[in-house]
Amino acid sequence: MKLDRREILKLAAGAALARPVLSGEAAAAANGGRFFSAAEMALFDALSETILPADEHSPGARAAGVTAFVDAQLAQKDPKMPDWAEERKTARDSLAALDGLCREMKGQGFALASAADREAVLTKAAAGESDPKTPAEKAFKWVKGRTAYAYYTSKIGIHQEMEYKGNSLQVEYAGEEPK
Amino acid sequence: MLLHAAPPLPKEVDLTRTYDAIVVGSGAAGGMAAHVLTEAGLEVLLLEAGKKLDIEAELKSMEWPYDHPRRGQMPYDRHGLSFNEYNFRKPPYADGSPYAKVHSYVQTWSGTDYTKNIVVDEKDHPYTGTKYAWVRARCLGGKTNIWGRLALRLSDYDFKAKSHDGYGEDWPLSYADLRPYYDKVDLYLGISGHAEGLDYLPDSLFQRTTRLNAAEVRLRESLKKSGRVLTPYRAGVTTDGLKHNKYRSKCFGRGACSRRAGGCDIHAAFDSPTGLIYPALDTGRLTLRTNATVREVTMDTATGRARGVVFVDSESGRTFEAKAKAVVLGASTLESTRLLLLSRAAAHPNGLGNSSGHLGHNFCEHVMGPGIGGLVKDLVGKPRTLDDGRPGGFYIPRYRNLKDRQKGFLRGYGFEGGSGAKMINSAADVPGFGSSWKKEVRQLAGAVIDMGGFGEVLPRYESHVDLDPVVKDRWGIPVLRFHYEFGDNEKKMCEDMVATAREIFEEAGIEVLGADHTVLTEGWSIHELGTARMGDDPKTSVLNSFQQSHDVKNLLVVDGSSHVSASCQNPTWTILALAWRSSEHLADQMKRGEL
Repeated sequence: MKLDRREILKLAAGAALARPVLSGEAAAAANGGRFFSAAEMALFDALSETILPADEHSPGARAAGVTAFVDAQLAQKDPKMPDWAEERKTARDSLAALDGLCREMKGQGFALASAADREAVLTKAAAGESDPKTPAEKAFKWVKGRTAYAYYTSKIGIHQEMEYKGNSLQVEYAGEEPK
Repeated sequence: MLLHAAPPLPKEVDLTRTYDAIVVGSGAAGGMAAHVLTEAGLEVLLLEAGKKLDIEAELKSMEWPYDHPRRGQMPYDRHGLSFNEYNFRKPPYADGSPYAKVHSYVQTWSGTDYTKNIVVDEKDHPYTGTKYAWVRARCLGGKTNIWGRLALRLSDYDFKAKSHDGYGEDWPLSYADLRPYYDKVDLYLGISGHAEGLDYLPDSLFQRTTRLNAAEVRLRESLKKSGRVLTPYRAGVTTDGLKHNKYRSKCFGRGACSRRAGGCDIHAAFDSPTGLIYPALDTGRLTLRTNATVREVTMDTATGRARGVVFVDSESGRTFEAKAKAVVLGASTLESTRLLLLSRAAAHPNGLGNSSGHLGHNFCEHVMGPGIGGLVKDLVGKPRTLDDGRPGGFYIPRYRNLKDRQKGFLRGYGFEGGSGAKMINSAADVPGFGSSWKKEVRQLAGAVIDMGGFGEVLPRYESHVDLDPVVKDRWGIPVLRFHYEFGDNEKKMCEDMVATAREIFEEAGIEVLGADHTVLTEGWSIHELGTARMGDDPKTSVLNSFQQSHDVKNLLVVDGSSHVSASCQNPTWTILALAWRSSEHLADQMKRGEL
């Protein structure tokens, strides 16, 4: 049975897509999501759009509904399960860590920061991406992983951004026959 | 979608009659036995432990992720085991888990909502002993519903491996004996591939081949310099269609075939239900009973012949006995052996058909994990091509210990790999963020190529399974206990896989992005083999060359349990060919009154 190499790498790393946990009170504030509070929704939106911005090639995370999908996923994950309790905790902690880094560096929260300040904050948080150590570095990796999955499985991500050609009828296979 | 609806199941199992044959298990082996025996005019009862799934509702290879509420993920009250769990805990892995269901590692891939009802819940199916990633599928068709489809023949380098290097035992048959049956399997089920004329990887009777993309062509051309071969994935997929089978469509290159896991919903890829069992039902001679967990082969003590089987209704727990003139086990490697061990009796105190003491032993499989990922630089940023919609990328057959003799290890390994853009992109692996990162991810997607090795694990006598004296499954049946781990030969072979993979990529001008040295947990390849091996000598083998028990002539084991050694080629096509040959032999013997 074939196992995709990139999947092997993930599995071997022990769930590289971190499995987040806990926080019992999901008292999402008014206008909040199903899991995130209103402030957290705004924060995730700002972070994900900075990671995957709209540009001349395609729309970004916001247009692809990334925040709503991540929020809905977290809401469905029963915190009585250890992995999900951990993932929920990671979600809240990650947002707080990146917001905190922004306050430390720029004197205000990430959602209110300018585009340049957001970029500066994430540049710092992304510095240890291959081996994240600080809370902000770990937070960046988590937010990026969630954002990327939600974006690249979306209609915009698959068709407009990646221009995926598969899942369509082929009378002849694409490519070359071996000579 | 099914071109024609599955045939109805008109016949109830009749416990008062004696069937010509009872077949246990409905995967590749059991399905083939049911096909061949019913074609030969025999009345067959097929027992499957799992459900008859509405497979059309399960397999959705054409569904877009965004059309699924969880983007293809299984419900969040279920858990898929990770590499770390397999390695740092001991089985039974589901013990104490708070999740509603716990599944093997295949349920940690993408698209797991499509396979969640196919693979078993580990809570119902515990096992004990040494660590092992045992993947089981209990439903009509078993693992053929989700198999990787790489369909390869073995050669006399495999069947006569002992003669070649002195290790283990030769098989009691040669390529010439099996070749006509490989041919039959090719023609009846359909196989895609490109003829290469290699004596160590014999060609099949191929239908239209899938093709290679630019990176794969480059690697093929480069390998020629060292006399090695890269061939398009030889797939158990009908690419030209099968006129004799109304349940299967030819491949239209449609679907996210690269998405793991999930089967083929137009059944271009072989699966046992549409390929073998529905046609067998159409003969009118097959009775199919699902939810029938066989727990014992019963014996006629007067004649020393098998009388039938005892099965448990998987839902109600009620027990029944069915009778037949012959009993054919195709419950999968390990499960068939478990059944023989469970069928202990006064005349067979160590398990049925175990006068040799080899039942449960000589366990082997494929070791996997080591591999490499690389980048073809001049493909970066090239316009997107269509790289999906094919069952696999490429296969590089074995090149070790053919004419040469390696110092560190016996036998060989092959590589499975592929290149190209997939439906779901693993962008998070590329460092960075922002518009420049987004562009880099987009430009790299079609230029990455990767491959991983599958190596032959030696069949050691001490590698074995037995029954756990305490632990039982959901139905109160004793479970298997593993005594098995990779040895030095496998470790050395794995080191060679990585080192050589790197050389191969560098030689082709492919920039190495990462080499993986991790050897995945025993069992990971889902190619478990042996434990009831064939042989000419009843003192050192369990079955003869027609997969008949040396001790009980009307008892056969037609699955991978019978394999004498693992080869490094994927086993399904050999399981099918052997089951065809043995079933034909059984039918002939019955017609001649020899049983």
